[in-house]
Amino acid sequence: MNEDKAPYTNFMDIKQWQLPPEELERIFEDLKASMPATDDPWGVNLDKMKQYFQFVWPIYKHYFKVELHGEDNVQNEHYLVVSNHSGQIAIDGMLITTAFATEMKPPRLLRAMVERFFIKLPFVNKWAQEGGAVLGDRQNCINLLENGHSILVFPEGVPGVAKNTSEFYHLQNFSNGFMRMALKAKVNILPVAVVGAEEYFPYVYQAKHLAKFFKVPALPLSLNYIPLPSPTDIYIGRPIILPTDISDDANDDVIAPLVDKVKNQIQEMINQGLTKRRVSPVNDYLGQVVTEIKNLWKK
Amino acid sequence: MEKIDVTKNLNVLIIGMSGGLARITAEILVQKYPHWKITGVDSRPLATPLEHPQITFTQMLYTRGNFEKMFRPSEGSKGHDIVFHLGRMGVSQYQKRSYISQRLNLNVMGTGRILDLCQKYPVKKMIILSTYHVYGANPDNPVFIKEDAVLKGSIKYPELRDVVEMDQLCTNWMWKNKSSIETLVFRPCSIIGPQIKNAMVNYLLTPYAPLALDFNPMFQFIHEYDMANLLASSIEGLPTGIYNAAPPDVISINEAKKHLAIPTVPVALFILEQLAKLMNKTLWKIPGYFLDYLKYSCIIDTKQLSSSLPKFNFRFNSKEALEQLKMS
Repeated sequence: MNEDKAPYTNFMDIKQWQLPPEELERIFEDLKASMPATDDPWGVNLDKMKQYFQFVWPIYKHYFKVELHGEDNVQNEHYLVVSNHSGQIAIDGMLITTAFATEMKPPRLLRAMVERFFIKLPFVNKWAQEGGAVLGDRQNCINLLENGHSILVFPEGVPGVAKNTSEFYHLQNFSNGFMRMALKAKVNILPVAVVGAEEYFPYVYQAKHLAKFFKVPALPLSLNYIPLPSPTDIYIGRPIILPTDISDDANDDVIAPLVDKVKNQIQEMINQGLTKRRVSPVNDYLGQVVTEIKNLWKK
Repeated sequence: MEKIDVTKNLNVLIIGMSGGLARITAEILVQKYPHWKITGVDSRPLATPLEHPQITFTQMLYTRGNFEKMFRPSEGSKGHDIVFHLGRMGVSQYQKRSYISQRLNLNVMGTGRILDLCQKYPVKKMIILSTYHVYGANPDNPVFIKEDAVLKGSIKYPELRDVVEMDQLCTNWMWKNKSSIETLVFRPCSIIGPQIKNAMVNYLLTPYAPLALDFNPMFQFIHEYDMANLLASSIEGLPTGIYNAAPPDVISINEAKKHLAIPTVPVALFILEQLAKLMNKTLWKIPGYFLDYLKYSCIIDTKQLSSSLPKFNFRFNSKEALEQLKMS
């Protein structure tokens, strides 16, 4: 009888899906060393964050099978990280921050910007704050950058995350605010592209009028309300060095070309990522079903 | 504008002398400047008699006539050189509507009269204690609210109207008279200590006070001694302006409660809000607006103070201030 145990002997044993304890300890020791000794004014709690990571990691690594590319582009400095927004419920922010914390050496604490709407939500507010997310307010971001923190922004805002199926992977308008923040705080921009998150909810219609009626930022009508396990790739591009002779108060026509440069670079990274896209069997099967239904409808 | 010469015999008036902070401030002033004469006034009696002969206390109703008597130079008295206005009626507990209007009258109208008298019988320095509550606990508050931020404290809670109006009245007056009177408006974070009786201290020390399960805002706590010392130190160091005041560290409300080791009732906020309405009328005495401070952070920026008064050191950080409160 063979005494060797198979790697996954018990499927329901959560520990096999989690980060190994020694790896988790190393990450959080490094993160603690990178933070001031006093409590964080924005409310991040590394002990709580460590607990959350035990739940997030299985989703990150084994459900969405996230792969990080281009981590060599990250130097030892703080950045304004700019990403495309997708996935209907903003899971992409959680995945990017997890990637920066767990797959970089040394680990990096990225502060994701969240909508005011989320700040008002019970429990969500607390978990987001303890996990490192902060209010997406311009002054707040500048304060973070000036205190040496890297922040993650989604300049598309809600229109980026809440897209109809026909708009998947087409970047929406970028606001100019993030560029003014980067210029004011004199930090470089790190472009990030997330490929795979749009397929968490592959067939979506955004009921914008209903969303307005219920006073919520978006109301997606979808075939599924639990995200599908679409494999996700996170691509980190080369940092965009900003000119030092442009003021953060410059006119929009001066700022707009800089914003377009960032947007074009991220769109280019998405397009390249789509050529290497991994497809999940579930999405593949659902795609076939929908195509069959469409064909039947045409007949 | 005449500069204050601290070596001269100066007269100091402290309004709100029966409060814990005013008392500590007076004691620090006596130690620093033993040749000064300090007069304290309050509508309330003193809790315990004053020990220093340099400090005199007058209990009086806050009326225009009484204040005029207090400010008017009389025989043998040359009027006041420095005035500390620490006499704002606080919102330390649930209050009835009639009491709120009384507070509005005293805090806004009364402060207006005091400012008029400071101009009429010119004082050299006016030091006013406001509060960080003027900014309000809002979901869209950035971390580190600067002194020039919009005062949103009374938007949701009209019972804070007097707090905001008094602050605005004082700052307007300050800029209007900046060429003749040096005026300081302090907006400190939560002042805590054994002698302080405000809403925060009530909440922190109330056993089985509800603690939100679903929110955990960050707080800054300044110890009563540090605040009093700052008020006393500001006479020589600070130029006219508005100053946020807080020690350099922060602590979450859950941690603060853990530090104090006073039992709490963990409860989700939507239950807590209903519970507060019920409890306020019976057992629990926490003002309604205070619940928002248990939801959203209101962290103030203190760069202005630290750059204008670089030599000032806080003796206690927020955690140590809580320790002191626990020991009291």
